[in-house]
Amino acid sequence: MTATLDRPIIATRSRSAVELRGVSKTFGRGGGAVTALAEVDLRVEPGEFVVLLGASGCGKTTLLNLVAGLDDPSRGVVNLDSGRPSVMFQEPALLPWLTAGRNVELPLRLSGVGRSARRARAAELLDLVRLSGQARKRPHELSGGMRQRVALARALAATQPSTTGTGEDGGLLLMDEPFAALDAITRDFLQGELQRIWRTTGTAVLFVTHDVREAVRLGQRVVLLSSRPGTVVREWRLDGAVDRQELTEEITGRLREVISTHAHA
Amino acid sequence: MRMPDLLPGAGTGPGSTGTTDSAAVGAGLDALDTPTEQRRPRWRRALAVGLPPLLALAVFLIAWQVLWAAAIWPEYKLPAPGAVWHEFTELVVSGRIDDVIWISVHRAVIGFLASVAIATPLGLLVAKVSLVRAAIGPLLAGMQSLPSVAWVPAAVLWFGLTDTTIYFVVLLGAVPSIANGLVAGIDQVPPILPRVGQVMGAGRLDSARLILLPAALPGYLAGCKQGWAFSWRSLMAAEIIATSPQLGIGLGAYLKEGSDFNSMPGVIAAIFLILLVGVGIELLAFRPIERRVLRARGLTPAR
Repeated sequence: MTATLDRPIIATRSRSAVELRGVSKTFGRGGGAVTALAEVDLRVEPGEFVVLLGASGCGKTTLLNLVAGLDDPSRGVVNLDSGRPSVMFQEPALLPWLTAGRNVELPLRLSGVGRSARRARAAELLDLVRLSGQARKRPHELSGGMRQRVALARALAATQPSTTGTGEDGGLLLMDEPFAALDAITRDFLQGELQRIWRTTGTAVLFVTHDVREAVRLGQRVVLLSSRPGTVVREWRLDGAVDRQELTEEITGRLREVISTHAHA
Repeated sequence: MRMPDLLPGAGTGPGSTGTTDSAAVGAGLDALDTPTEQRRPRWRRALAVGLPPLLALAVFLIAWQVLWAAAIWPEYKLPAPGAVWHEFTELVVSGRIDDVIWISVHRAVIGFLASVAIATPLGLLVAKVSLVRAAIGPLLAGMQSLPSVAWVPAAVLWFGLTDTTIYFVVLLGAVPSIANGLVAGIDQVPPILPRVGQVMGAGRLDSARLILLPAALPGYLAGCKQGWAFSWRSLMAAEIIATSPQLGIGLGAYLKEGSDFNSMPGVIAAIFLILLVGVGIELLAFRPIERRVLRARGLTPAR
């Protein structure tokens, strides 16, 4: 735990997967400066599935970059207790010259895992995403949905760098609109698959989308961000009792409100 | 198909209907969406690739023979195809062809390998260090349009009629193409790929070795192929201009010899040989590597 001395209440709480406190991010200086995020507080519990929902310009990508450690906040603190989070993008971003299996092995290779352990772990993860026996295929020989599943397996390989790690710490998976480029049937299937895999692995997920239905279907908690600058507007907790249809409409209403405030901006 | 909202760990087991259902859907989607690759049988492909050039060659030879028979130009300007063939067989039978080809090819290969050794680090520097790129990037690109023959007079003055002159000209011809190919290859790497390495915590070295260089390989290979062509033509230019007994007789000098003796069949035979060797090495050495690299990435080679 770092930088919790001024907030003793937080230190007594259990570890989070990631915690953002008062995070702001401004690009540029002076008159041309653009504030992408303003005073964002967000906490993801270990194993929790949180969906960030927002229109264009809500700073989703900036936020993920901050959590992934690709960028530093201008103000505020990002606390990562779950080690390096792994990231899944909208495109599969597989290395086209490597087979599916080698792509999954890549993060293990970078963290110095031996060849046979790597191979075994990759086979295990490809099994998990229902791609057993496809390890030797190259990305161009796979369909879009299959490529995105390989990317998911690769991201999972990166979340749990050591198979001997502590069981309770499932790591953190950042997903940046990972299904946005897929057709409707494949997207529906992959959403189901993601839920299944999330339950099996116990990894925490921070999922970014602009699709309200997707958010309500997947998340345990949906966080609505405003745009320019991105701030947390509201969040909804989705426990068993909620009427999802109604909630989808409510959230859509709020999102439309947020967007219409920009009509004259 | 809405999944019940459950807490992690309380998930559905593989036996429940929800997951079997989605397993079947997934398998169906995979089967339907997987791209299919149809390949024609090998002999059909060989025929499609090999036949058209052979036909073109036949047409060319017939046209040549007809023009010669029409006797529009005197014999010393347009010899018969048969005369050129005779010149060629004489070269083969006397065994001189081995020396001539060996002298040129070994120079071209050494020159090309040296060019690769110089151009690769140079290209990396230009691609990755913005100051270096700003300083010599335009020069390097411009060098490609400067015919390397232009260096021959200067090289002769500096180094005399020696091998150094020849290698100097070959290097100046090939290094810019190879370096530019590498720069273009690196510039064309989709930015998402280095990001993938970055989020996985790859260091600079790992990132270059495992991601950047393999991603830039197609552009680099294209540069090498062009570099070979440039080193071959620079070599020929150097050999034609810089002739001396201690340099031996390579293909270029053989061509010059034909011209000096007013032997048109010799000149034409030399031109054909130069073409044959240059294209032959490209086909035998570069084409298979390029094919393999592009096919592995799902990029169909341009034949």
